[in-house]
Amino acid sequence: MVSIEELRACAAKLLDEGKVKAVIGYRRGSAGLLAEPCVIDQPADAESLIWDPGCVHNLALYLVKDKKAQAASKTPDKRPLAVVAKGCDSRAVAVLLQENFFKREDVVVIGVSCEGTGVVDARKLAAKLKGRTASQVEFDGADGFKVTIGNTESRVPASEILADRCLECRAPSPVLNDVLFGAAVEQRELATPFTAVKVAEAASEEERWASWEHHFDRCLRCFACRSVCPMCYCPECVVDSTSFVITAETSAEDKANRVRWCERSAGSGESALYHLTRAMHLAGRCVDCGECERVCPVNIPLRLLNTKLEMEAFEMFEYQAGRDVSQASLLSSFRDEDPNSFVR
Amino acid sequence: MLNPAKTMTPVQDDFEPKIVAFLCKWCSSAGSDLAGVSRLQYPPNAVPIQVMCSGSVSPLYIMSAFKKGADGVLVSGCHPGDCHYMKGNYFARRRLFLVQKLLNFVGLEKDRFRMSWVSAAEGAKFAEVVGDFVRDIKALGPQRRLKVRR
Repeated sequence: MVSIEELRACAAKLLDEGKVKAVIGYRRGSAGLLAEPCVIDQPADAESLIWDPGCVHNLALYLVKDKKAQAASKTPDKRPLAVVAKGCDSRAVAVLLQENFFKREDVVVIGVSCEGTGVVDARKLAAKLKGRTASQVEFDGADGFKVTIGNTESRVPASEILADRCLECRAPSPVLNDVLFGAAVEQRELATPFTAVKVAEAASEEERWASWEHHFDRCLRCFACRSVCPMCYCPECVVDSTSFVITAETSAEDKANRVRWCERSAGSGESALYHLTRAMHLAGRCVDCGECERVCPVNIPLRLLNTKLEMEAFEMFEYQAGRDVSQASLLSSFRDEDPNSFVR
Repeated sequence: MLNPAKTMTPVQDDFEPKIVAFLCKWCSSAGSDLAGVSRLQYPPNAVPIQVMCSGSVSPLYIMSAFKKGADGVLVSGCHPGDCHYMKGNYFARRRLFLVQKLLNFVGLEKDRFRMSWVSAAEGAKFAEVVGDFVRDIKALGPQRRLKVRR
């Protein structure tokens, strides 16, 4: 079990000694059972840190945001940042380190192990509670959650309300860490990895397109999936260019000739381009933190696209994102024995 | 040019597919030139786009082509080991393998996207690759899935 007192003490100590400028962690959210991300820069505030199954967010995102803010700042604060990281979050940090987005000494990873469980899927929980609202979810033993509804508490087996990605998670304890709370769990498979992808693949091409067309058609292009993804750190997105400034001097020709890979118009074709491009850009980088799917307002199963490529990378190229900081990235390396039979 | 009167009502028999072919400058482009110089007969449906290397073909090019209504996309480069830039085609092979899997996963027909190795000496192979591709796509009919409807 993760001892929250020890975690708080560790965060307070790091801040007290001035080793880090801030600790990014979770605190009790003001709405519902999900925790909210918080940045703590005073040792006394470390008391507000929590760790429960509502800590769904991938906090590596805030490392990326901080790095961008420091790069833009005239007086950057170069002290390292500490981050509370689950298994998937630490993999995200590993991928960012692998890509040299920041340096190892710029980040202190406070690892928390999910051990036998993981984080809760709010949609699954809502379906299970049939209209009642849970105010809090806590860990209860190795494979259960304690759900608080009003004044009553009940125990729910973790596998019933655990997020899909946690069920399929292969590395629930952070591989990359400076300090680890909870037991280091090597292998734990509550469900076979890539189950959902294999089920989707079993359908015919027509059925697959019918479902994806339905999904792409719903897409609002709110870009929440992009905003929440720690790997989507490009200053300008290829499908949504923001640096083309239209002034009074911009000629009609300039406007007409600007490169627009993705138009603003609604429609499944444009949305498909966005989602497929994003999936390709995350190939070999997606750590399956499931945040894109969680934040999607129209419930597009975005994890499927990413896990499909994750599966291909694993099966064909034996590549796992975030496994090793020193490995060459999936698309910048090759082997002679890569599949060749699909080429004429 | 396609006859607009014919394309308005796509009948399976006189459907002429539009294929976007990304050909690497050093091998496949020269291969297609050789096919022309050797006066080989092959279907005129492929629109060649010369790129410096098959490794420079971004997945975005392919998806954009499908979005704009291409019935098929062909990426052709040098044989493994023959790349002008030493390893560009190896990168392309890995990346486009994933593109092909992803496109098929969302339900685009498998035969719509094809990759081939054509050297500068293989004019006949280029003609054969394009011929086969056109035949396969004619069987599938027009690509409507990823195309933007206006």
